[in-house]
Amino acid sequence: MTGITPAMVPADLGSQLVNLCSMMLLVTSFAIVAQRRLSACVDLFAVQSVFLAVTAALVAFLTGIHHIYVAAGLTILIKAVIIPLILKRVIERLNVQREVAFVINIPPSLLICGALVILAFSVTEPVASIGFLLTKDSLAIALAIVLIGFFTMIARKKAVTQVVGFLMVENGLFLGAAAAAYGMPLIVELGVFFDVLVAGLIIGIYTHRLQDAFDSVDVSKLTGLKE
Amino acid sequence: MSPGASLAVLTLAPLFAGLLSLTTRTKRAMEWLQGALVVVLLVAMGLIVGHVASGDDAVVGHLLRADALAAFMILMLATVGGTGLIYALGYMGEELARGHLEQTRYRFFFFLLNLYLGAMLLATTLDNIALMWIAVEGSTLAAALLVGFERTKAALEAGWKYIILSFIGIALALFGTVLVYYASERVLGVSMEALSWSALRLVAPALDPTTLKLAFVFVLIGYGTKAGVAPMHTWLPDAHAEAPTPMSAMLSGLMLNIALYAVLRLKNIVDQAAGADFTAPIVIGLGLLSIAVSAVFMLIQRDYKRLFAYSSIEHVGIALVGFGVGGPAGVFGGFFHMLNHALAKSTAFYAAGLVLLRHGHKVTERVTGLLRHEPATGGGMLVATIALAGMPPFGLFISEVLIVTAAYQQRPWLAAVLLGLLALAFATLLAQVLPMILGEPHDDGQRVSVPTRRFTTSALIVNIIALGSLGFSMPDFLRELFIPMIALFGADVAVEIP
Repeated sequence: MTGITPAMVPADLGSQLVNLCSMMLLVTSFAIVAQRRLSACVDLFAVQSVFLAVTAALVAFLTGIHHIYVAAGLTILIKAVIIPLILKRVIERLNVQREVAFVINIPPSLLICGALVILAFSVTEPVASIGFLLTKDSLAIALAIVLIGFFTMIARKKAVTQVVGFLMVENGLFLGAAAAAYGMPLIVELGVFFDVLVAGLIIGIYTHRLQDAFDSVDVSKLTGLKE
Repeated sequence: MSPGASLAVLTLAPLFAGLLSLTTRTKRAMEWLQGALVVVLLVAMGLIVGHVASGDDAVVGHLLRADALAAFMILMLATVGGTGLIYALGYMGEELARGHLEQTRYRFFFFLLNLYLGAMLLATTLDNIALMWIAVEGSTLAAALLVGFERTKAALEAGWKYIILSFIGIALALFGTVLVYYASERVLGVSMEALSWSALRLVAPALDPTTLKLAFVFVLIGYGTKAGVAPMHTWLPDAHAEAPTPMSAMLSGLMLNIALYAVLRLKNIVDQAAGADFTAPIVIGLGLLSIAVSAVFMLIQRDYKRLFAYSSIEHVGIALVGFGVGGPAGVFGGFFHMLNHALAKSTAFYAAGLVLLRHGHKVTERVTGLLRHEPATGGGMLVATIALAGMPPFGLFISEVLIVTAAYQQRPWLAAVLLGLLALAFATLLAQVLPMILGEPHDDGQRVSVPTRRFTTSALIVNIIALGSLGFSMPDFLRELFIPMIALFGADVAVEIP
């Protein structure tokens, strides 16, 4: 980016670029929901994380708030590289069948996710007006990704897919923080990253223990405790 | 020691002790270490509460701040956390002595428990909504490993449900937090200050009300999940029943209150920006739903730890109704309820843990004659149950009367519904627990050893003394905390505290 300064980018072009990148995050969320293969879900999550990092870097460049670059770098390192690698090893070691197990099938899933996007836009519509011009629609997109992440956790049976859903939720939250509020202070972002990393590790530990105890990572078999 | 230094010691001591726990070689060393931690916590708590009660906040830089509300939470965390650690020494020590637990796992348990306690103390003292979120998430992570600690199928299932639901909850709470920041940076600028509770409170009327309303919904659902508010409570009975018992006591007595604390801090700000008419109906509605759900499920419960878990949902609901109704009586009732519930519920779990150690099962109807068979356990459970049922002379009776009175002043129908639900919960709890305590014992079980008994009985006695004395008189330092706490929630009337 040498030679280009934020002043050389027209404001509406900047905001269109940010919107484009956040939209790509949403598109990858849909792609994850539409995916049948577990390892492809993990790959798509890595792709989504790259888009997140690019969005954050764009915001950092256009606003001159440089600490967002740190968040972007950490996103690449942790969410696009380390966590996908861990998840892939879990998939290999557990010898999970290739298919994603569904509670709700793909076509109705996509319809529901579409409805969730509309819901997210209508919920955030009244507050969007106080937002920055640059990232006006990002809050709605962030909420949509959070909701789709929750939906993935509910509508898929395998523990690994639930983890991917959880990580999508985290990506949505980061988009919300990095774009709509121009990034939280650095110490906050570092703390959140640390928490996400530890959460990922703990979920990994649990998946192993579930596999050992139940001989399966199909969480629909967890039905021992109920009234 | 200055108040600031006490605050720093209070929050760092558990983290430090947690790391040291990993290096202990013997059970004896662990007992000394945890004992020392309890002393440090109580002394630091005493200094902070004394300072705040005299009318001044305890502050460390811009990072940590203990106002009256935080000091109240610290009082609760240090007291119940202290007896919890002592009880855990007995309970886990017994598991170790019986060979159910290896030395490394024993060390790891105290490591996690100390981190958990430390994270909760940090959450209450951090003067920053986002850093508080990180601390709460930290406590969730430690708790996730503690819930599944015993690694049985049931414990893993409970742990998995806890992880998934509380991560969803905590993620929603973070979205709410981002929204608060979104609103506050318009006023305070892009800075750390825009996240500070004390700064937010000062500028609250200038914040965008629509954004804050939306943020409140997210924060209430988010932290409400951690507080076990119905309908987001489904993880709670599993986790409380399957976690090692010292952890069940801390989940119920402390973590639910931390989550409530987070909701209340934000409610305070939203009410100033958007008026209390927005938050009150939501909070009251969820409170009533929680009481109703728990009363019904207590009725059909066959597992005594689950029974007490549902009772926690009920009491969180009662406190919520108190805060929703507001006014001096409602707010005081809510806080007094939180404190007494923390003491009573931890006592109930301490006793339940002793029953579990002795009999090795959690089936309510197979336990009888506790009072005759094991007077300390039976007596502890009896006192706790009477208190939890809301009978005099305990503090929960006082707070429930206050909350019902406050409700009647505002909406008479609300008092009627509340009383009806409370009566149902009262009857089911007593009907379930009294047969365990009374009658003839018919199963001898495995006796608990003397060293264990030393720890568990002292934890029970300290809790019962605290619980009993709060029912009869209000100590001066507590009165000094309550007055500014109630003022914080906008009740300008000078209250007469019994």
